[in-house]
Amino acid sequence: MPRVAIVGGGLCGFVAYLTLRRAGIEDVTVFSPDADPAMTFRVRATAIRQTHMRSESDGHCLPTSFPGLAVRESLARRSVAPLVSSALDRYHATVGTFLAHVEEQRLRSGWSPVPLRIERICALDGGFDLGGRGVFEHVLVATGHPGLAVPEELRDDPRVVHAYEPHDYAESVCVVGAGLAAATEWRNASAAGARVTSVRRREPVQRPLNVPRPLLTKRGLVRFHRLADEARAAELHDLLAPSYPREAHVDVPVEAHVNGADQVIAATGFLRGYRHDPLLAPLVEEHELATVNGWIALAPDATVPALTDRGRTLALAGVAAQWAYPAADTLMGARYVAHGFARRCRTR
Amino acid sequence: MSYTLRGRLESRLAALALPVLAAAALHQWWALELAGLMAAVGLALDLVYHRPIDYQPGWAAIPLGLLELGVVMALVDALGVRAPLRSAIVFYAGAWLWAQLLAHALLPLWRESWAEDGGELGARPTILAAGLLVLPFVGGGAVYWHNLPPLVRLSAGVHQGPLVLDRRVRLVGAPGAVVRGGIVIRHRDVTVSHVRVVGGDYGISVLGVRNVTLDHVTVERARLDGIHIRHASVRVHACTVDMRGVPQGQGIDVSYGMIQGENVVDRCTVIGGRDGIVMHASMGMLTHNNVSATTMTGISMVEMSMGSVAHNTVSGVRGIGILCGDHSMCDIDRNTVAGTRRDDAGGNKMRAGFGLEVEFESEAHVARNDLRANPRPLGVFLGATVDP
Repeated sequence: MPRVAIVGGGLCGFVAYLTLRRAGIEDVTVFSPDADPAMTFRVRATAIRQTHMRSESDGHCLPTSFPGLAVRESLARRSVAPLVSSALDRYHATVGTFLAHVEEQRLRSGWSPVPLRIERICALDGGFDLGGRGVFEHVLVATGHPGLAVPEELRDDPRVVHAYEPHDYAESVCVVGAGLAAATEWRNASAAGARVTSVRRREPVQRPLNVPRPLLTKRGLVRFHRLADEARAAELHDLLAPSYPREAHVDVPVEAHVNGADQVIAATGFLRGYRHDPLLAPLVEEHELATVNGWIALAPDATVPALTDRGRTLALAGVAAQWAYPAADTLMGARYVAHGFARRCRTR
Repeated sequence: MSYTLRGRLESRLAALALPVLAAAALHQWWALELAGLMAAVGLALDLVYHRPIDYQPGWAAIPLGLLELGVVMALVDALGVRAPLRSAIVFYAGAWLWAQLLAHALLPLWRESWAEDGGELGARPTILAAGLLVLPFVGGGAVYWHNLPPLVRLSAGVHQGPLVLDRRVRLVGAPGAVVRGGIVIRHRDVTVSHVRVVGGDYGISVLGVRNVTLDHVTVERARLDGIHIRHASVRVHACTVDMRGVPQGQGIDVSYGMIQGENVVDRCTVIGGRDGIVMHASMGMLTHNNVSATTMTGISMVEMSMGSVAHNTVSGVRGIGILCGDHSMCDIDRNTVAGTRRDDAGGNKMRAGFGLEVEFESEAHVARNDLRANPRPLGVFLGATVDP
């Protein structure tokens, strides 16, 4: 039986773990300093006072899209309303429902990560050494976002707090950004009685999910994977522009620059690119991995071509896998990568 | 769900396998024919759906299902599949529900990446599904073929009749095959096609049997009736009956077949004689026929008959173009009756050259008929009623 490891125990790592277990791979080692896969998500959702998931019924941690959260909620509530909402693409589980689902699966699955942060991955013949903790043939790196992004010009401003950091609202609030976090802040700050202004470089893109729906499946992915590197990078840039569902929109005054508000909330998302990731940056350098505009050029199944062969697999999940699957930072994306990874572990 | 084209087709095949097997298990031809139509329509529409529907939300299954139901039922009607309406809709609804269950629950559960793969199942499951789908049709086709009556070819040339068919048979005439003296059919499951019959009291007689087909037959110079159907259930298709020179003869006479089931006469041409096509105490459809130059009526449905007279052309007949009489119930629709001539010199006003006539307690639904150059377009007599 090949040795299989997951580096990172957030939601992506958790989805991969459950998927591998369903595929019959029992011996999976997970490295994560946190035992709770939803910890980071919980902190961020709490910070922006998120009440509902942007994802739909299949935004859950299980390996198969069915039964989704709508089915589970229908059974729990003995009501068809969640199912009907799901059929109309109007079902969004509450954050509480989602977290309860994660906790239930965590307890049921025997999830118990090795409480370590892997600092270095070293490629060997036939596998990877994970920071001296053992050699594994198949490794999935699911380390999540490399950090919060704050615009350079705001970095030393004492009024600034990132949207994903715990915060209350001052009397006047300037929200920088145009994504779902920004829209949530507009709503919440207004509800708290603050005078809210928005600073953004572009008009918000309004769409239900992170990317257009065909890109969640092979229908859109086949075309995406055929794009030449530069074209794919450009498309990815467009696709990953901040967006939120139409119903999240709130009209607030827009200003060109950060004003004299008491508080500035940077709803500016996360750092992007492998260079910010302490695990991936040295890996790229040591093995001269192919990169395009800050992305590690991955195979369609999110494996690293130069470090993947018949006997070993190195795959990336989460935001680092968006080169292969533009919505890789979602739960569906985690499942996509996990399926591909499980196939390799099962057949090699 | 964003299906790929292959995904749509493969998922469709998987969804159809069970209904087709169920149809085979029902041991009803209509069920198998209906399932075949569902498969054909579904797969054809998948090709249509692919481009415009790049994402199909769950609710779209309902309008698409209704659209497919409409197309399937239209084809059922057009192709003459004898599916009971309620049973057909229940069968379709069951298949639709099964397809929804499969697409939303079973396939995603069975194949982890089914949704990501755009509904694609892979080669082996698709071959299995296609095999299960095709098997009942191949089996049904084999049974149908096995049960076909034996084929007898009538060679070209004149064969002296009367020819009596008293067993199951498909009699197919070669070009130039002629039977002199008539054909008598006394057994069910008989088909006579491409045969010319000359002479005899009756050109072709069908007596007391069901499931008889007369296809592309020609009858000439019969002394009484060209085609004589008694207490039988027959389909007469694309025939030619020439009764010129037989003033008391009837082109096609269908009588006393009420308890045997429906009779159909379609796309026949009848010239001359006393009555062109006449139906007594029978049930049936007379459609797309061409009747001309008769001396009593063109087409008549009488003596408690029930049925439809539609899309026929009647021209140059004496007395009455189309008659619904004597307690009959007729649906007279989209016929053309032209150039009827008066025959009331003896004082019978009911023969004053009516395009359509409904008489003696009969009930007729009359609609969209083209009545041209008739002395009287419509006559209603003796307690008959017409529902326009």
